[in-house]
Amino acid sequence: MTLSVALGPDTQEGTRTGTAESTDFLAAPDIPWNLVIWNDPVNLMSYVSYVFQSYFGYPESKANKLMMEVHKKGRSIVASGSKEQVERHAVAMHGFGLWATVEKASGGSGGNAGKSGGPGQGKGKRG
Amino acid sequence: MQASPAGRARVRGNVAKAFKYGLKGITGFLEPAERELLRSLINDVISMLEPEEREGQDPLAALIGLDMEVAVPTDRAVKRLLPNVMKNDDGASLEFRQLTERSLRETKIGALRAAALDLDKDEIVLTADGARHWSMALNDVRLVLAERLDIQDEEDAEHVHLMQDWSQAEDVESYLALVYNFATWLQESLVQAMLQSLDTSR
Repeated sequence: MTLSVALGPDTQEGTRTGTAESTDFLAAPDIPWNLVIWNDPVNLMSYVSYVFQSYFGYPESKANKLMMEVHKKGRSIVASGSKEQVERHAVAMHGFGLWATVEKASGGSGGNAGKSGGPGQGKGKRG
Repeated sequence: MQASPAGRARVRGNVAKAFKYGLKGITGFLEPAERELLRSLINDVISMLEPEEREGQDPLAALIGLDMEVAVPTDRAVKRLLPNVMKNDDGASLEFRQLTERSLRETKIGALRAAALDLDKDEIVLTADGARHWSMALNDVRLVLAERLDIQDEEDAEHVHLMQDWSQAEDVESYLALVYNFATWLQESLVQAMLQSLDTSR
């Protein structure tokens, strides 16, 4: 199933290890796509932080900071990368029930996300 | 987003925590009436997510998760579960749906079914995957209830949250509000246990 985007244990592992491997990619000035999480009145703050920690492998402090940004500003860029990478993350976020969209990074004002890069790189499940 | 709900939300009296993290991992205990309620909610959401079988559908395409005839869901609750991937590009969002919506539905149904299976036991003991499935299932149940209750902003959510007394359940809306608060309380209890287990494994 080359198109499978189902969440599985292997996806989780992939995201964990991917975070460490992706440092050189982060330095690239033109990371072209962002993953945006939008605020909604239903999702629990604790749950959103849990998803950021467990799926992206973000430390608690960073996960909470991004979660509060979603809550207060209405949206936050939580990861960046190639179109394929952020699309894969978006489907995973939809699996968790978070309201996620992807968008082309505009003029380099992408805020905090550049630093985070896209976890799970090179582990793409799509052929 | 919703902050931690305070106070009681159980169907009956007992205010003990539903889920906790301990030596056995994440364990939960639900009253029979609570399990019955959850089972029916979960089955409702599964039935909303099951893709309709259409005549003349390419079985091979369906098998690998493609659905070239897919449309944006007309039911608001289903649309919230399966949102567009781009804010201002319906065409690209639809294209993405063709490639991913079927397997997203399957992911969600899988988590909901896994949670429903656990409801057959008195004591629920969850692995890390099991806990994730439960949290996803409860979240989807809450998203659907929130659409039915027309929770559009945090003020609406607070209004619904005030409804805590089961003896006040007089109409469908107040009953749904109580059910929503119960699911919220349950998910919060589970997520707190999951966060503790993350802390311990770091």
